[in-house]
Amino acid sequence: MDLDSDIQMEDANDLQQINNNTETNTNNNQSDEPELTKSITNINNDDETNTTTNSFVTEVQISTTNPKTQINTLDGWIEQLSKCEPLSEDSVKELCNMAIEVLKNEQNVQPVEVPVTICGDIHGQFHDLMELFKIGGPCPDTNYLFMGDYVDRGYYSVETVSYLVAMKVRYPKRITILRGNHESRQITQVYGFYDECFRKYGSSNVWKIFTDLFDYFPITALVDNSIFCLHGGLSPMIETIDQVRELNRFQEVPHEGPMCDLLWSDPDDRGGWGISPRGAGFTFGQDISEQFNHTNNLSLTARAHQLVMEGYSWTHQDLVVTIFSAPNYCYRCGNQAAIMEVDENHNRDFLQYDPSIRPGEPTVSRKTPDYFL
Amino acid sequence: MSTDLYPIALLMDELRHDDVASRVQSMNRLDTIAIALGPIRTREELLPFLEDVIPEDEDEVIAIAASKLKDFIPFIGGVQFANLLLPLLEKISACEEPIVRDNAVDSLNNISLQLSIDQIKENFIPLIIRLSKERWFSLHIAATGLFYTVLPRLNDSIEDEFNLKIQLVQLYYDLITDDSPMVRKAAASNLPKIISSLNEPINEQVWNLFLQMYKSLINDNQDSVKFLSIDVLIEILSYYNKLNNSTEDTTNTTSTTDSINELFDSLISIISDPSWRVRYMIADKFNLLSDNFNNDSFTLKLLPHFISLLKDNESEVRKAISKQLPEFSSKINLINPSLLIEQILPIVNQLSNDESENVRAALASKISNLSPILGKERTIDFLLPIFIEMLKDEFSDVRLNIISNLEIVNNVIGIELLNESLMPAITSLSNDKLWRVRLAIIEQIPLLAQQLGISFFDKSLGQLCMDWLWDPVYSIRNAAVENLSILCKLFGNEWSKNQVIDKILQKKETQEFNNFICRITCLFTFVKLIDIVNNELVENYIYPFIKDLINDNVPNIRFNVAKSMFKFANHFKENNQLNIINNEIIPILENLLNNDEDDDVRYFANENLTKINSL
Repeated sequence: MDLDSDIQMEDANDLQQINNNTETNTNNNQSDEPELTKSITNINNDDETNTTTNSFVTEVQISTTNPKTQINTLDGWIEQLSKCEPLSEDSVKELCNMAIEVLKNEQNVQPVEVPVTICGDIHGQFHDLMELFKIGGPCPDTNYLFMGDYVDRGYYSVETVSYLVAMKVRYPKRITILRGNHESRQITQVYGFYDECFRKYGSSNVWKIFTDLFDYFPITALVDNSIFCLHGGLSPMIETIDQVRELNRFQEVPHEGPMCDLLWSDPDDRGGWGISPRGAGFTFGQDISEQFNHTNNLSLTARAHQLVMEGYSWTHQDLVVTIFSAPNYCYRCGNQAAIMEVDENHNRDFLQYDPSIRPGEPTVSRKTPDYFL
Repeated sequence: MSTDLYPIALLMDELRHDDVASRVQSMNRLDTIAIALGPIRTREELLPFLEDVIPEDEDEVIAIAASKLKDFIPFIGGVQFANLLLPLLEKISACEEPIVRDNAVDSLNNISLQLSIDQIKENFIPLIIRLSKERWFSLHIAATGLFYTVLPRLNDSIEDEFNLKIQLVQLYYDLITDDSPMVRKAAASNLPKIISSLNEPINEQVWNLFLQMYKSLINDNQDSVKFLSIDVLIEILSYYNKLNNSTEDTTNTTSTTDSINELFDSLISIISDPSWRVRYMIADKFNLLSDNFNNDSFTLKLLPHFISLLKDNESEVRKAISKQLPEFSSKINLINPSLLIEQILPIVNQLSNDESENVRAALASKISNLSPILGKERTIDFLLPIFIEMLKDEFSDVRLNIISNLEIVNNVIGIELLNESLMPAITSLSNDKLWRVRLAIIEQIPLLAQQLGISFFDKSLGQLCMDWLWDPVYSIRNAAVENLSILCKLFGNEWSKNQVIDKILQKKETQEFNNFICRITCLFTFVKLIDIVNNELVENYIYPFIKDLINDNVPNIRFNVAKSMFKFANHFKENNQLNIINNEIIPILENLLNNDEDDDVRYFANENLTKINSL
């Protein structure tokens, strides 16, 4: 497997170019090209990724379960996805239609009950998501709250997001999935989800189905009226949680404004509001967190969005916690991942874990120079 | 155009298609088309046509043609026409793409097996000679693959066949000493196959040529060629062994002994080769080599070299030779046990602290096998200290490899001693930072329990088994539940009551029971025991405990209670206590189904109710 491609940098030109490619690619997606490359790669190399990804083009299977009832169909899909086998395009379409019915009724600030296990970024690292369930316990026996960024960067964005959405539809009360800044049409075109959909399905249809679904994802959650969960951070235009409830979230993540900030902002050591180096959202200081938690009677703000080497990291004197659940991020960062268990008495427990063991995949030593990050 | 012309026209069209994928597809149907055309037209139209178009095409199309032609003899009218396929395959085997060339060589060999001896002499051997003499390396490489099917066909007692044989072997010698290293490499890797293809006794003249080839390989200046000579050496030695077994002729044996001595010296000369790849090859095949020398004095002479490979400065070599340790040690032990103790074991000790974690892991996977060789006392004296050190290794694979082979050691020294010396290490690993190490320990527990017996087990491991239930990692808790259920099965009802059920009931009285994870783990443990312990325990302890959880605040607990009700119903039905099912279980589930506020609880209540009703 190739590890040479560096972590991509955000670049407006890239984005533009990909937009153009989208149109041309959709037109000739029926050609025999993928078939041909498949036969070459099968002859020439044993590289796992190449052969499997190419065979997806022709061999994407439909659920094996007899789809008599919706739950049987869903259980069949979940079983298939848990083996890291993507669904057929038709099944994805059907699944996302069901998901819209569930998600459109959720609130901008979705209430969540304790006990719950709160998780951060996954980024297409499907096997590490399975490791997460081995650590925290399987759903539905354990309740989960994911704070966004399921796609991009890892090799299995399609399987990861399909799995989580299928679980959401099957057990809507047991799992909550929030929107991250990567659950967006623009970002996924640059960071891999678009390309992965195209590679695995031979067209951009599946990408379109999923990015349309992302508009329905709730943007924040409130755990037992006490822990405010969201992907990025606070916004200068939001003082109370009620203001979040008034937003219209059913749209592409905007370039600016409160909804954008909630998905893009980061906490910072400097006080007050600052300009974010990311080009979207803001940085906010401890004074802001204190004010926000106090106004809204919160014990904690939990968020994801930033790589932290230990998997979790407290900031602003324990008012804000960052949780990151993609171990060895991008297969090279050498970080641990973590999840936070909150029990019914609001005791918090962090569980850290390392990448899952997968024979045949590259293992990167944990010592990566800082300048890669 | 008549209808019977249609297939070939279609094929020709498709084989000229612009799109490579279509050409690949039609080439895959080559046999169908040949059948449709019949033998005569396949010979007269299809083959010339292919000869025409194929050399111009893309590699992937040619590769398919090359392998399709392998089974073409029936389609062209039988073996008497087989030589018609040769020119086409000869052209294909000139291709520089290794996949295409290999397919062509493969097909040529397949065809040559079916050719008559006259066809071999008239068509096939000239083809080999042409390929070998052409001034192009890729043709030479193709040629090296064709000898092993042809040479055995030539009969030594027929003069012209024998002459051809000598000529071919000489030709092969030329390939072994070719200017291009790639050709020498191909020739070297095909040589063992050629030697083993010939029936003993091999004519002396031919055999001497083989020995010369070996000498040339072992002195090759390219290490990628040189290390292939090890396989050739093994093949030569096994030939001598076969010869010794089949003949009692003493005159022959002396000359054989001389050659074997000479071969041994040649091996010694490269055993400390500057190239690590050569040393690696020797290390990797060490036991095979010493097996084939098959003589105690040689084995003893190999010992210092074995040791120097164990001390090699390249970690890959040390890793490879570590894996040979038990087998070679057992040979040395048969000759002189003190050598094993004095010379090999000190190095093993050193290797257990090797700087490379992969070497240590390789050693850990094999070191347990030394135990049966050493016997009880020496295992205790020499190996146990090493085990205990390796169990503390910072690299988890090392620890895992040791733990998963404990059974072998156990068979030698007995469980009590193992227990005494290893228990501290096992206890410390049971709290290992990595959950997979903890898991590996749990998986060994049933085995230890079986051999320790109840009283011993309770003393040393009983507490650990309960502690794992409260591990922060779900997979460990789950394994602990599984482990306890196996132990309950093993040790019976009384033990289950005292050691598991009572302890869980005690847990219920503690503060920790306020935590949802603690409650659900107790629930899972008890559900697992329903099928294992007797009805008295189920009815008096397990069922009441789980029934109590039906009003739990956490829906996840409630729907797991609902799930457990089907198992209870099954159990009580077998014990003819239908009253419990009808008066308690069904009403409980109906109440959940009708009144619970949580969708999942109602769903599982309904599902299990349906299952119970169909009992």
